[in-house]
Amino acid sequence: MKILIIEDEIEIANSIKSYLKTNDIHCETASTYQTALDKITMYDYDCILVDLMLSDGDGFTVLKELKTLNKSDGIIIISAKETLETKIEGFNLGADDYLTKPFHLSELLVRIQALVRRKKFDGNNKIEFNEIEVDTLAKSVKIGEKKIECTKKEIDLLLFLIGNKNKVLSKSAIAEHLSGDMADMLDNHDFVYAHIKNLKKKLNDAGSNDYIKSVYGIGYKWNND
Amino acid sequence: MTKKLLHTTLKYYVSFSLIVMLLAAPLFFFITQLMYLHETDEALMLQKEEFELLYAPELKDKDIAVWNKWNRDIKIEKVQKIISKDTLYSHSYYNNLDKENEPYRVLNSSVTINDKPYQFSARINLVDNEDFIISILMVFTMIILILLVGLFIITKRLSITLWKPFYDTLEQIEKFEIDKSSNPKLTSNSIEEFNRLNLAINKLIEKNTRIYKSQKEFIENAAHELQTPIAIFKGKLETLLQRDDVSEEQFEILGKLNDTTTRLNRLNKNLLLLSKIESKQYNIPEEVLLNEVITNQLDFFKEQALAKNISINTDLETNTFVKTNLFLSEILISNLFLNAINHNCANGSINVALNKNSLLFSNTGLSKSLETAKLFERFSKVNPSSKGNGLGLSIIKKIAENNNWEISYNYQDKLHIFEIRF
Repeated sequence: MKILIIEDEIEIANSIKSYLKTNDIHCETASTYQTALDKITMYDYDCILVDLMLSDGDGFTVLKELKTLNKSDGIIIISAKETLETKIEGFNLGADDYLTKPFHLSELLVRIQALVRRKKFDGNNKIEFNEIEVDTLAKSVKIGEKKIECTKKEIDLLLFLIGNKNKVLSKSAIAEHLSGDMADMLDNHDFVYAHIKNLKKKLNDAGSNDYIKSVYGIGYKWNND
Repeated sequence: MTKKLLHTTLKYYVSFSLIVMLLAAPLFFFITQLMYLHETDEALMLQKEEFELLYAPELKDKDIAVWNKWNRDIKIEKVQKIISKDTLYSHSYYNNLDKENEPYRVLNSSVTINDKPYQFSARINLVDNEDFIISILMVFTMIILILLVGLFIITKRLSITLWKPFYDTLEQIEKFEIDKSSNPKLTSNSIEEFNRLNLAINKLIEKNTRIYKSQKEFIENAAHELQTPIAIFKGKLETLLQRDDVSEEQFEILGKLNDTTTRLNRLNKNLLLLSKIESKQYNIPEEVLLNEVITNQLDFFKEQALAKNISINTDLETNTFVKTNLFLSEILISNLFLNAINHNCANGSINVALNKNSLLFSNTGLSKSLETAKLFERFSKVNPSSKGNGLGLSIIKKIAENNNWEISYNYQDKLHIFEIRF
C-alpha cells in the first residue's frame, strides 16, 4: 500500500511514516503545497493524508486539485482545526475522513485500513486473521465456522486490535477509539479493561487462540506469535 | 449603611439651618427685647419732658388730685425731698379687668410744680413676655418649614437635572460586562466634572476590553499552537512503544508519560473549548430536545459509571425543548456527567432529573459540602491530587451563562447537587 503524507510538520510525518512502515505501508511525504501538487499529479496513492495548514498554501486547494484531476485516491484530512464548518468543507471537497490533531497513530492506521477497504473491495468487507473472520458490514464475528455474538463495541475493539496487530496499544488509544472525543475527558480508562476482558472470554470460549496480551502498565497488544 | 448623595447633602443643609435657627431665635428675642425696652424708656422720658413743658406750669395744687384721678399711667405724688436721679424699672401690676399681672415699664422722676417737689411716675404697658416668645417661635417655625421645603425641592430638582448625566453613566457602567461585546456609550454633557468622569471611564473600559481581548486571544492561540507539539509528542511516544527493546521498567515510565500526555491533551482541549464558548462561536440558538441529548449520552456514561460500580438513575420529562445551541448542550451534559462520575465514590449513584424549568444532577461523593466560593472558577480543584483539570465546572458555568441560565450548587442529604434553571 502506498500513501502520501502532506504535512508541514516533519516530525509528525516521520512518526506516521515509522508507525505505518511495519504494516507494509509505504509512505511518501510532502511538506509543502508545491511538492504535494507535484506528487499527486505524477503518482496514484491508495490514501492521501492532508494537513489543512501548510506553510505555502491551503490543504483545501490540494483537495480541489485532486478533484479537478479526477483522482479517486482516498483522502483523510489531519488537522488541528476541529470546527464543524471546516469538517463540512473538507467532506464537500471530497475528503473521506477527518482526524483531529493530536491523534493516536493506531487510530490513524485503522482509519486508513477502513478507507482503503471501502475503496478497493466494493461490498466485500471481510477481515480475516487466522481462524477469526470479521464481517464489517454485517457486524458479525466467526471463529472458524462458529459464529459468536459480539456487541458493536467489541467488534469495534476487535477490528482495532487486529488492524494494529503486533503493536502496543495504550489504554488511552483504545479508549479514544471506542468512545471518540469523549475519551480524553475521562480520568480513568477502566472500561477498556472490561471490554477487553469480555472480548477475550468470548474468543477463548469459541476456541480461538489467545492473541490479546496485556502490556505492563500501558495497555494491550494483539500478538501473533 | 450607605445613603444617597443627595440625602447626605440635604442632611447637612437641614442640620445647619436648624442650628442657625435655634441660635437665632433666642438672640432675636433678646435683641428685640432690648430695643423695645429702650424705645419704651425713651417714650417715658418724652412723656416726662412733655409733662414738665406743657402741664407742670399750669397745674395748681388742687388739680393734682384730679390729675391723679383721671390719669391711670401718670401719677404725681407730693414728696419731701427732690429725688436727684430718674429711675427706670420693669414691674408687674395686677390688672382688674384681665385678672392677671401685666408687665409695665415704670419711670420714677421728680418734677417741680409751683416750686414744690413732686414725684412723677409714668408707666407703659409692655407686651407680655410669654406672648412675645410664642410669636417669635411661630415666626421662626414658619421660616424653618419654608426653608426645609425649599431645600428639599431644590435638591430634588438638582438630583433630576444636575445629576442626571451622573446617574446615566452609573446605569451604563452597572450594565457593563467585560466579556459581552457591547461597550457602554457614555455621551458628553455640559458639566465639566461629569465629562471628565465619562472620559476616564471610557478610557478605562477601552483599555480593559483591549487587555481582556488580547488575553482571550492569547489563551486561544496558545492552546491552538500547543496542538502540534502535543501531536508530535504523542506520535513519538507511540512509536517508542513499538520498539522491541523496551524493558518492563521502561514500559512503566512510558505508561506514565502516556497518561500525562492524555491529561495535557485534555487540558488543552478544554481551554480551546472555553475560548470557543467565550468567542460566541456557538451563539446561534435553536430548539434542542434536551432529554434526547441526555439519553444519547446515557449509554456511554453508564458504561463509564459501571467501571466504578456507580449507578445512574434518570427521571427525564419527555419533549423538553430548550432554546440553546446543540453542540453546547451536548458539552454541558457530558461535562455534568463527567463531573458526577469523576468525583463520585465507589458504589455511588448519580441522579439526573429534567423538566421544563430545570436540570438537576446529583451525585454521591465526598461526604462534605464543596467550597462554593471558587467552585466554578478555572483550575480550582476540590481535590488537588485528582486528575481533573478544574475546567469542567467552569465550562458548565460558561455554557449556562451563555444561555442566561442560573446554575447553583448544594450539598444535601449526602448528595452533591448541581441545578441549572432555564
